[in-house]
Amino acid sequence: PDRLKFIDAFLCFIVLSGVLQFVYCVLVTNFPFNAFLAGFAIQWQFVLTASLRAQVNPENRSEFKEVSPERAFADFALGSIVLHFFVFNFLG
Amino acid sequence: MRLLSSVLVTLLALTKISFASSSSVLVVLDPSLNREDYSIFFGGLEERGYNLTFRAPKDDTPAITDYGVPNYDHVILFAPDTKSYAQDITPQSLVGLLSENINLLIALSPKQTPLTSLAAEFSLILPPPETPLISHHPARSEPITTIPVPVSSSSPILTPGIPPIWFTGAPHALGSTPMLVPILRAPAESFAADSTSDADSDALIAASEKSGEGLWAGSRMGLVTGFQTKVNSRVVFAGGVKMFSDEYAKKELPSGGAPGNALFATDVAAWVFQEKLRLRIDGVEHHRVGESVAPEVYTTNDEIVYTAHISAYDSKTSAWKPYSGVDDLQLEFTMLDPHIRTSLPAVPGSPGTYQIRFRAPDRHGVFKFVLNWKRKGYSYLESSTTVPVVPPRHDQYPRFLSAAWPYYAGAISTSIGFFLFAALWLAGDVKGERKKGSKVE
Repeated sequence: PDRLKFIDAFLCFIVLSGVLQFVYCVLVTNFPFNAFLAGFAIQWQFVLTASLRAQVNPENRSEFKEVSPERAFADFALGSIVLHFFVFNFLG
Repeated sequence: MRLLSSVLVTLLALTKISFASSSSVLVVLDPSLNREDYSIFFGGLEERGYNLTFRAPKDDTPAITDYGVPNYDHVILFAPDTKSYAQDITPQSLVGLLSENINLLIALSPKQTPLTSLAAEFSLILPPPETPLISHHPARSEPITTIPVPVSSSSPILTPGIPPIWFTGAPHALGSTPMLVPILRAPAESFAADSTSDADSDALIAASEKSGEGLWAGSRMGLVTGFQTKVNSRVVFAGGVKMFSDEYAKKELPSGGAPGNALFATDVAAWVFQEKLRLRIDGVEHHRVGESVAPEVYTTNDEIVYTAHISAYDSKTSAWKPYSGVDDLQLEFTMLDPHIRTSLPAVPGSPGTYQIRFRAPDRHGVFKFVLNWKRKGYSYLESSTTVPVVPPRHDQYPRFLSAAWPYYAGAISTSIGFFLFAALWLAGDVKGERKKGSKVE
């Protein structure tokens, strides 16, 4: 389904950016270490999106009876905003 | 009319030439020496504006100091053979005068006097008593103790081109203190020995065979040596008093021509009485580049500009003039060890100003700007300014580090991606609802 494809695309993008950051850290320098940690922590976004995917997938309807897709999306959005707040704070 | 007034003015100006604005000199003259015999030297001093007062070594008046306040600016001690002095001009009290910034010109002699031990205090080693300087060269009609000494112009004290001078007296060996300023050295072919028994050549040969121990010969010996104390007062020890006399100033050299005694005596007196080579630091400033006032504290890695103003005393006008001729000034930025040691060059176009710009080191602590310039013959220049250097405050560090941009880019792009995703998802939701809603209906 379209939606799942859309989520998958977003997931790919996050993974790609995370890998790039990690490669830079290993190869060049981990000098502003706090910045590396913050940049890498944004990977948590991946987990949130993956959980959104799991909750929204119609094939998993049996497992997530009490969670409607809208509620899943709202959880996802709240978690993401809090995550981004912390990440930008720590980025320095 | 105008011509007449200008002529009068120039005449007045000429008559007012005085090189030392009324300095007073006490001349302690041994009664066995005749004042008239030294008229060229003393007359020259008086012409340059010094007030001379004469006194015998055993007299009590005029006193040099009254209740601790000096009465004179300089003292000339032409009493080389005196064995006992009045209370206030014993050689020991003369040393005390030096710390009051009184300059001394002292004439020594081959005899053993209190001046011998005084000279030893200044690191001058005198030969055994009754061993004057002797030279058999050049061939001349004068006795072997009267020697024409060539004057080298290596010392900045003497004007170049002074002809050889006549000398009678004792040489001395120079100690190792850097405060000694050699002015005149003995000729290479001269030596110190007892003059009555034609110069003991046996003793000389014996001494030279003992690898030079006890050998008083050659140009290692000094004849006229100066000493500059830490407070910049000057003493000159001359090996004999006769070289200042008129007789020697007029005696013809064996190679023909007038001797340089008068010129030499003038130069030496000018140096001792602080007319020549007299420098001082007028002031120092330090501030950050771009500012003009010294800040309370400096931060590490600040760019700092340090300026020194130096003047030299011009005896012709009795005034201090800015002087840019020091070409090896050094500045040290020191905390226990000099972290920065750099040259302080003169600023072209700004006389007397020396400036350097440097970066404060990456250490915090209490630093000093140290200016320490000591050269033989010149006044010592010393200055030390203490400043604190603190590490940067928490808000003085760079805000965004350029090394961290991949992380900035990653986090920001993910944020943007999230917002786009959320927007598109909700747009999709709305579309789906509309579709569903229309379907239900």
